Amino acid sequence: MADFLSAYSIQYWLESCPQGYLDGTEYGHAPGEKEPDPFVSDPMLRERAIQSTVQLVVGERCALAASSGLINAAPDEASKRYLATQTLDEARHVEIFTQRLYDLGVPKSDLESVIREHANPNLVKFAEVLLEKVDRKDFVAGVVGQNIVLEGMAFTVFEMMHAMNQKVNKKFAHTLSGTIADERRHVGFGENRIGSLIQQHPEKKPEIERMQRDMSYFMLATFADAFRKAPSEEERARIRAELGERGDVEWQGKSLASVDPSEIEALLADTVLKEFKLRLGRVGIEYQSPVRP
Amino acid sequence: MADPGTDVHAFAPDRFIEEVHSFEFWFQAVEGYLSETRYGRRPETPDVRLDDAERDRLVTVLCNYCVGETAALEGASGLVAIAPNRLTKIFLSTQVVDEGRHLEVLLHRLGDLGVASPEAEIEKRASRSLLAFKKRLLDLVAGKDWEAAIFAQNVILEALEFTVFQAHAETADPVTRDVLLGIVKDERRHIGFGENELGRRLKTSPTTRVRLGAIQRELDPLVLAACDETLAQLGTPRSERPEVGRSYLAAVERLGFA
Repeated sequence: MADFLSAYSIQYWLESCPQGYLDGTEYGHAPGEKEPDPFVSDPMLRERAIQSTVQLVVGERCALAASSGLINAAPDEASKRYLATQTLDEARHVEIFTQRLYDLGVPKSDLESVIREHANPNLVKFAEVLLEKVDRKDFVAGVVGQNIVLEGMAFTVFEMMHAMNQKVNKKFAHTLSGTIADERRHVGFGENRIGSLIQQHPEKKPEIERMQRDMSYFMLATFADAFRKAPSEEERARIRAELGERGDVEWQGKSLASVDPSEIEALLADTVLKEFKLRLGRVGIEYQSPVRP
Repeated sequence: MADPGTDVHAFAPDRFIEEVHSFEFWFQAVEGYLSETRYGRRPETPDVRLDDAERDRLVTVLCNYCVGETAALEGASGLVAIAPNRLTKIFLSTQVVDEGRHLEVLLHRLGDLGVASPEAEIEKRASRSLLAFKKRLLDLVAGKDWEAAIFAQNVILEALEFTVFQAHAETADPVTRDVLLGIVKDERRHIGFGENELGRRLKTSPTTRVRLGAIQRELDPLVLAACDETLAQLGTPRSERPEVGRSYLAAVERLGFA
């Protein structure tokens, strides 16, 4: 275990993250990059950007509470020190996504009310399931919930959003690429550290599997809500015309501009669940299918 | 004259807090003094051979620094949950990683000194006073007492570490000196946060001052005892030890607590 954890030291983190891929960035993107015009001037695109960014802030606030809360539950010093780096990663994500809300024109004085207005209730419940384990100082369940389920979901959502923004909003794509690099490290820690703990505590499996099933349900419900509120076909056609070729992006082999929102929802859900199955299997947890909302 | 566009001290209070509590500010601050180091040591710093007795005393001292830094790591991470707003949560997250780094560089130094199992060594050599302080700090955090916990952590503990590490750095071997001076630079930021956070509350609440005063009277004997034990290990003559204790008390007083 000691050897594997040396790859998660603070020294390594300093060299690879703040002094590595974040070097020369400002709020995660190149200095001077701005939100491109349609995201600020087009009311519908701006509102959609604010809605989706609020969900990122809500998810990252949950991740910050979970990773800091797990430090005192960690069974060894090296895990505590790794979680210290994750705590700061999550705080940085809260900061850069909050900054994006300001960049989209949300006044600082309205931040909390905008978050309350747009936060998806199912995402809030997803967070509550995880934070209940963290509050009980349940390290094994907490790390599975945080570093495999929450981070696994975030990783795929960020990758999809990165693909959608790569041509049309380089500033936000750059912001996302730093967070994707962070999430990759977090998921890696979860897989590597938890496998041995599950073997030591097989009695915890049923409870962890229930938690994963509940979190998966609320995640799917969040996706369903988000895509149900997608713009009408007419609005989408207008946006496609405005963005032109820049809006034509491919993700998981599908052209996202030409498919129905319900298809994107299914593609996203299937991608995340497939990842869950794979990663949970690696740590010895049997994936539990949630009821489809 | 300070440039009001870039000098944070020229900012209005709200903008000042937004700026200095951010990841971006932390990032710029540590970049200056950590980018050339590995585990807190500058590449050009020479190793100096210690004799067995010196080495043994240094191991005991470093083990106790690890107890203090573990208390600080667990305290700061617990404080994130009870912090009253986003900016204090973000600042405390930077402090969490600072405290984790301090623990890591001290453990690494123990490894350099040939300690094969630092965790077992720490358990064996830990000062009772420091362990009692750690327990009390974590009780305050677990009790979700924000003012008392931030006082114990960012004023009392940080002032103790700041004073002792600075005093130790003056006589330490070059590698230990590098490590300690890097830590002291972080402690300044942490103390500034505690002073700012509590200073505003003290101005408007006389009862807070009375309450924190009682906590200080409870913790001071533990802090001064831990300080004395460390200085004894460092070979500081008994006659000079009260001076370091007074420096700690003066540091706390300068922050407005006495």
